[in-house]
Amino acid sequence: MLVDVVQNTIDGLLIGSSYALLALGFTLIFGVLRRLNLAYGPTIMLGAYAATWAAREIGAEGLALAAITVAGAVLGGAYVERLCFARRGGLRGAATARGPAIASMVASFALWMQLEEVVTLALPRHLYPFPPLYAGAPLVLGPFLLRVEHLVTLAVAVLVAGLLAGLLFGTRFGLAVRVVVDDVEGARCVGVNVPWVLVRVFALASAVGGVAGYLIAATSGQVTPMLGMWSTLKGLIAMMLGGLGSLPGAVVGGLALGLIEVHSQWYVGPSYRDLIAYGLLFLCLWLRPAGLLASPAARARLAATG
Amino acid sequence: MDAYAVGVLTNMGLFAFVALSAYLLLVAGEMSFGQQAFFGVGAYAAGVGTALWALPLWLALLLGMAVGAGTALLVGLPTVRLRGLYFAMATLAAAEMVRIFFEVFRYRREVAGRLVGPDGTQGFQEIRWVFERGIEPLGYLGLIYAILGLLVLGLVLLERAPLGVAVRMVGEDPELAAVLGVDVTRLKLGVAAAAGAVAALGGGLYAHHNTYVEPRNFDIMLGVHSLAYALVGGLGTVMGPLLGVGLDVGLLEGSRVVRGYRMIVFGGLVALLLLVRPRGLLDEATVHRLGRLRRRPRPGVPGGAPAG
Repeated sequence: MLVDVVQNTIDGLLIGSSYALLALGFTLIFGVLRRLNLAYGPTIMLGAYAATWAAREIGAEGLALAAITVAGAVLGGAYVERLCFARRGGLRGAATARGPAIASMVASFALWMQLEEVVTLALPRHLYPFPPLYAGAPLVLGPFLLRVEHLVTLAVAVLVAGLLAGLLFGTRFGLAVRVVVDDVEGARCVGVNVPWVLVRVFALASAVGGVAGYLIAATSGQVTPMLGMWSTLKGLIAMMLGGLGSLPGAVVGGLALGLIEVHSQWYVGPSYRDLIAYGLLFLCLWLRPAGLLASPAARARLAATG
Repeated sequence: MDAYAVGVLTNMGLFAFVALSAYLLLVAGEMSFGQQAFFGVGAYAAGVGTALWALPLWLALLLGMAVGAGTALLVGLPTVRLRGLYFAMATLAAAEMVRIFFEVFRYRREVAGRLVGPDGTQGFQEIRWVFERGIEPLGYLGLIYAILGLLVLGLVLLERAPLGVAVRMVGEDPELAAVLGVDVTRLKLGVAAAAGAVAALGGGLYAHHNTYVEPRNFDIMLGVHSLAYALVGGLGTVMGPLLGVGLDVGLLEGSRVVRGYRMIVFGGLVALLLLVRPRGLLDEATVHRLGRLRRRPRPGVPGGAPAG
């Protein structure tokens, strides 16, 4: 009994670390651009499919696959950024139904459809095997089992979160990003090249997504066209649970989502797992819309915009 | 008309209901990712009405609308004060909960020696009312468009009434509307319920057209498509969402040229179009200009506009 609880908690945290990675990329885009990029998951899928193709056609493996996934995701992200987010009325207007924010979002959905069709035209089968990250048996620790892929994902998630924090709070680029988040006009006045900052943030977020995509595909050992929608939804839920635009929030939201899913699957069965995850998200939005780890700024912004 | 054309036109008509439903909320300033749920609720409720309770179709459709509006109200009560992305996410979560509810919902009864009714992930089969009465696809197409026509007429009249103006005002600037004495929360709840009923009506018609529905029919793809239809067509007039549906389902699915590349073409078109027209083809400015064009008096006709 207790063993099960602990094992489920471990599994939940480990699975949640991949959600945390997805949410980190998501929250980076949203936090800076105040726009929702629905094509975030599909660009990750594009990278994973590019790696699958490389594995099949030219026998790429290991780190090369990870590099191809990241490169594919960044290229896909660049395409989405150019078509949906660049030159759309600057950064004015929050993500309300008015203004260019919703146009960006719907345009990114349109590109989602496009990317999905592109990958299914290139690799039409419903499922392709993806070279696994680690082929050996799981680690045994007393009564507990630990999958090595999950441990790697957790380590990478911690590393990425740390690197992002260092980048945002320890470099000139990070300073520019934070200035843009605080006050776009002010950033322009002091000579920050705002569009260039946004492009780099987008590329960075896509790269984080690519890392997440590689780990997810290599852990499950397969890719399907569902990967795009799955990544967008999981990243979005984890981001909303933790609080929009907050890096620690993304990590906490991802881990929380993993815990919720594993525990509810264990106690009430797989058909109710997603029901409970969505139910908690709904409750969270209702009672604490700024997220579990809302920054004071985010709460103030929420109060200001309704 | 060949069967293919009838099929495409039927699809257009059915999608129009969800697109209109998304449009209503967009006009009120809210972006819902969850209208597909009410489409599903309407489909299941109306299906239960005819297949299990032996109601006539019109009564079953009304039942579906009532359940759809009720569900929308239930979702709206806690979410209506959320805005933007928060509202979108809350409606998405609610819609996914509804979909998963249908995956575990079982309500089966023996009707005429056969077990019928919703059966979880197996879906809801044998919604045979239309089929049993020998109604041809063409006849049913006529019924769909008759109902759609009435609905659009009603919405056009409503848009010109003070109520419609108030809804647009709330969408433009809720604070200003509140200052001017509009009860913003109540109005938005009303719009949410109406949008739920509209989607549910489409769902009921859809269920009786297909004779079979399953929870997967009502996933987020349908919801985001309907948002895209409304936004591409334009937020200036009720005709906007219909134009959006026509462009995608009619022009692209209907034309056999782009088959297989439809999403690549449609996706690219939508993204490019929204770059130049962020509020769609028939946006408010265009509608206003068109209206002025029509009202402009012909030169030389007495009783035209006063000078100045």
